[in-house]
Amino acid sequence: MAQEPNFEFNLPPQFEQITKNIRSIAIGFIALLMIFSSFYTVETEEVGVITRFGEYVSKAQPGLNFKIPFIDKVQYVPVRRQLKDEFGYRTTSAGVNSTYRKAGYGGESLMLTGDLNLADVEWVVQYRIDDPYNYLFKVRNPDETLRDISETAMRQIVGDRTVDEVITIGRAEVASEAELIIQKICDEYELGIKIEQLVLQDVNPPDPVKPSFNGVNQAQQQRETLINQARADYNRVIPRAAGEAEQTIQQAEGYALNRVNTSEGEVSRFNDLYLEYIKAPEITKTRIFLETMEEILPKMGQKIITDEEGNSVIPLLQLQMSGAKTTSSNNNGGN
Amino acid sequence: MKKLTGITLVIVLGVLGLVVSQSLYIVSEKEQVIITQFGEPIGEAITEPGLNLKIPFLHTANYFEKRYLEWDGDPNQVPTKDKVFIFVDTYARWQITDPLKYFQTLGDEQGAQARLDDILDGEARNAVAGHDLAELIRSTNREPAQQEDIADIVNDSLQVISVGRDQIQEQIQQLANERAKDLGIAVLDFRFKRINYAEEVRRTVYDRMISERNRIADKFRSEGQGEASRINGEKERELLRIQSEAFRSAETIRGRADAQAAAIYNAAYNKSASARSLYNFVKSMEAYTSTIDKETSLIISTNSEFYKYLNAIDN
Repeated sequence: MAQEPNFEFNLPPQFEQITKNIRSIAIGFIALLMIFSSFYTVETEEVGVITRFGEYVSKAQPGLNFKIPFIDKVQYVPVRRQLKDEFGYRTTSAGVNSTYRKAGYGGESLMLTGDLNLADVEWVVQYRIDDPYNYLFKVRNPDETLRDISETAMRQIVGDRTVDEVITIGRAEVASEAELIIQKICDEYELGIKIEQLVLQDVNPPDPVKPSFNGVNQAQQQRETLINQARADYNRVIPRAAGEAEQTIQQAEGYALNRVNTSEGEVSRFNDLYLEYIKAPEITKTRIFLETMEEILPKMGQKIITDEEGNSVIPLLQLQMSGAKTTSSNNNGGN
Repeated sequence: MKKLTGITLVIVLGVLGLVVSQSLYIVSEKEQVIITQFGEPIGEAITEPGLNLKIPFLHTANYFEKRYLEWDGDPNQVPTKDKVFIFVDTYARWQITDPLKYFQTLGDEQGAQARLDDILDGEARNAVAGHDLAELIRSTNREPAQQEDIADIVNDSLQVISVGRDQIQEQIQQLANERAKDLGIAVLDFRFKRINYAEEVRRTVYDRMISERNRIADKFRSEGQGEASRINGEKERELLRIQSEAFRSAETIRGRADAQAAAIYNAAYNKSASARSLYNFVKSMEAYTSTIDKETSLIISTNSEFYKYLNAIDN
């Protein structure tokens, strides 16, 4: 409004006519401007936050909306978009094969653990703006604030854990606890941000220490290998020995059965013979003796019969028959 | 005349516009306003957003932030109480709570940031110098969850803390608020953002970590060897046990069978004199049968019983 006088003072003498034109031009221009600034589009992932004379009035949902021109102001906040903050690395190009850059972000990821060691923790915070009013009006630089909160929360959690915990078994817990703390501080600041997820990326010991950490893994493998080998050895030997033991015992059982059965058989035969023997002892003995002789004599080689005086020839005979078995029936009596 | 009215109209409108724009001011959601008259504050701060009136030209509207404001500490190298040099990077969030005091004592945000630097950097430095490193890092004496193999080696490097990170942060915040209470600002939150070892210290820490890992690795290896030896020993013992038990059982079984057989034989052969005699005789006969073959020569004396039998047969 204040510009109009200046504008007109600079005009040449054909003033009246141009003033007339200027008027209609200005009115048309203002009318157009009013129409344009009365309508606005809110994209699908956004909401529009409307302020009137600086004061918050309402939120506008996606679509074409109307407002009082020049007085109402709209700020667009992407409430439905998932936003993310990366720490210790940056995605340089997202896609099927995303590329990352880590150089220069070591300061974000290097942190002290509770046992005063160092760990390199990379993580990403995925969040959404869930309260556009708070997001816009409660905290200056909400994005920077969220980064600060994330860094301090992660360090607080890691600072209460040992380096082993952070790197290995405690990973999931670190992520969930840090997420809780970040959300808690966000709520405290009324940041209007809802943490959707905190994902731990690479969590490593610092580069100079990595080889020795790998060494521990190797040693662990070696330990397992040694133990497995010993177990294998054990398993190769013991079941076999158990089987062999079973064999020994079975053999002994066999021996026992054989022994008892044999004895029973022999005794049975003897008893039967004995029954007959008592009836006629002398003749039975003679019969058996002669039967035996009949059986064995044909099998023998030489048979020599001498009288009492002929005993002196025996040594000579023995010389002749050296190497052959000699049996004398002298000492064997029929009785 | 028409020309004159046009110009007058424009001038009047212009002046009116100026007056209106000077007498109206907008307080946004993010701001609060103090009205001053020639530098002298008039009334309380206006914190409610909306359109407000003031006396044009005489009154000036001074805008101040109502939101949480950031303060970022200068990364400082400070020694802790246990003489470890660390870099400490802190941040804080603060708010103008009393715009009037703020306006009078600090003037603008630049002044406020400078005062906050003095206060918070100073308090942080004091706190770091007054505590051991572990106190600044750990928040609780939480028992770490660990793989048991590593636990006993690593646990001795855990220090027990008495104050902890959370409390130190709170203390700094409290002390800062005490010093800032006349400045019209409040520190709402103070936190350590990053704590890191100074370069030279970092190298010794790496060395310590490496030696710690080597200790763990050695332990694993020796555990493996120990366990393997134990299994081997167990194997030997088990082997001997199995073999000796088998031997014992086998011998017992055999012995029992022998005894049983002996009892059976005795019962039969030893029941009478004639049974004994028959047994002797039968056994001698069996002995002949089993010892004599075609290599055997027989010398029979004419005196012998056998000859008599033979003779008897011949005749």
